[in-house]
Amino acid sequence: MAQTASVQQSKERVLSALAHRPPDRVPLDFGSTAVTGIHVSCVAALREYYGLEKRPVKVHEPYQMLGYVEEDLKAAMGIDTEGVYPRKTLFGFPVENWKPWRFLDLEVLVPGQFNTTVDTNGDILIYPEGDLSAPPSGRLPKGSAFFDTIVRQKPIDEERLNPEDNLEEFGPIADADLDHLARSAAEASTKGRAVVANFGGTAFGDIALVPGPFMKDPKGIRDIAEWYMTTSTRRDYVHSIFARQCEIALGNLERIHAVVEDKVDAVFLCGTDFGTQASSFCSVSTFRELWFPYYKRVNDWVHRHTNWRCFKHSCGSVERFMDSFIEAGFDIINPVQCSAAHMEPEHLKSKYGGRLVFWGGGVDTQKTLPFGTPAQVREEVLRRCEIFSRDGGFVFNSIHNVQAGTPVENIVAMIGAVREFNGLR
Amino acid sequence: MAELEKLTEAILSGDNKTAVAITKQALAEQADPAELISKYMIPAMDEAGRRFECEEYFVPELLLSARAMKGALELLRPLLAERGAQPAGRVAIGTVKGDLHDIGKNLVASMLEGGGFEVIDLGADVPAEKFIEAVNDKGAHIVALSALLTVTMPAMRTTIDAIKAAGVRDKVKVIVGGAPVTKQFADEIGADGFGENASVAVALARKMMAG
Repeated sequence: MAQTASVQQSKERVLSALAHRPPDRVPLDFGSTAVTGIHVSCVAALREYYGLEKRPVKVHEPYQMLGYVEEDLKAAMGIDTEGVYPRKTLFGFPVENWKPWRFLDLEVLVPGQFNTTVDTNGDILIYPEGDLSAPPSGRLPKGSAFFDTIVRQKPIDEERLNPEDNLEEFGPIADADLDHLARSAAEASTKGRAVVANFGGTAFGDIALVPGPFMKDPKGIRDIAEWYMTTSTRRDYVHSIFARQCEIALGNLERIHAVVEDKVDAVFLCGTDFGTQASSFCSVSTFRELWFPYYKRVNDWVHRHTNWRCFKHSCGSVERFMDSFIEAGFDIINPVQCSAAHMEPEHLKSKYGGRLVFWGGGVDTQKTLPFGTPAQVREEVLRRCEIFSRDGGFVFNSIHNVQAGTPVENIVAMIGAVREFNGLR
Repeated sequence: MAELEKLTEAILSGDNKTAVAITKQALAEQADPAELISKYMIPAMDEAGRRFECEEYFVPELLLSARAMKGALELLRPLLAERGAQPAGRVAIGTVKGDLHDIGKNLVASMLEGGGFEVIDLGADVPAEKFIEAVNDKGAHIVALSALLTVTMPAMRTTIDAIKAAGVRDKVKVIVGGAPVTKQFADEIGADGFGENASVAVALARKMMAG
């Protein structure tokens, strides 16, 4: 890749990449969002590998059990990003009042309201807002490493379906949340890294959020299969939800922008997955009818009023949607799942690289990173950096979170290969 | 007279209510349940599978067709059992131990039912013993394993190993699928087949029964 003459600071480096100008080095993200993170067990292993102070890792995102990448680990890995996270987790309790918890033979720290019980199978159940008197909303099977949502779908009466029921979680941002975002953005902006914010409220039909794991008594359409069918058969219902959600989100973004201003460089807006391994969840025409108008409104607002770059996450085979993502105003696509159909790195870069930033795609987390050798990881990372970093437009991240069970030698080989590509060793 | 072509149409378009209504009417008029399945329902699901393969249908449409087919099939199942009708094969399906993801598994199960198979759905987070029980006690011809997570893929291998250790590996064909699963992985763990999607799984199961 072309090298600039001087060494850039992290923030400048990411901003160059986002502006499609070659930065001095390929910038690196781990931990700035809930889709670019590292499983807590791997964070613990990395801390040990790098010889950092021994202390339990904080689980800041309990749904996927993501570990907090603290300042010392960021420095050791050479991370160029800083995350601003919502005040509450996906299970609806605030990320505060840390307490110890034992998990996978590991001592970790979890938020104070991370309240669990163990059922007769040995599975761990977690409760919305930490309320043990409510039905549990998440389950971590015995010996497993991640929670999954417990669907609490009430019987559906077609005549009485009311979009308001699916809008219960959306409303004007609370002062406590606003204060939290203002404080977090202010703090993040002092670190010299690019700030990636996760404000919430702009994910349209994200299947991780539809079941309402953060709610004690979710109403409306909350079952995953039922929601997918609804996107085909009850489009007026979905439009009603998205239109109202969009209005609320724009009001909230205005208030958020007033307090975080341009301390934020990129905003994670939506994690709705449109791709599967071999195909997609809908056609391009359905995407354009059902999602595109709302994405466009949100992205247009962001571009008109802020300097933030719009970050879209979608797993799977999404090549067919790339032009629509761009037209809707997204600047960044993640996780760039090159292992899915039609997602060959060279093709993506040459066709969309001038118009979209690839934030991810650095290494396959389905095969190479968890199951390959360090040499295979190195080879893949070097190749991906070569392809994606051309003319900027690339922030290195693995394809989605580093999963539990990934050998630390492979994670270190990945980081080492990025450093090698960057000419740092 | 029930318009049976409309049963095919209702399943294909995912119209559960109509599929159930036509099936009820047909049964009231003494239609042969086996014929309803083979002439009107299996072709509908085969066509839904074909449309999925060529991306005219996506997951929502396939789920809708599967639900309509299931609605009709539930009415027919007791009658088939009474008459001792034989399915195309018996498949024990489940998401492996430690993994709760079941959308893909449910789609495969529905497509197999729609393809004339009897499906023993063991659910998600299924320990190896349950699959072995299904082979020993229920006579499953095929075990179908699903996994979405890289951390649970090894449970496919341990399940196959447990089936071997239980001495029933030669009684059953094992097929595997799920987002991170590949043909190479299927070969490595000693599976008999790999299905890239729900539609392929039906063709694979038919091949297993034939061979």
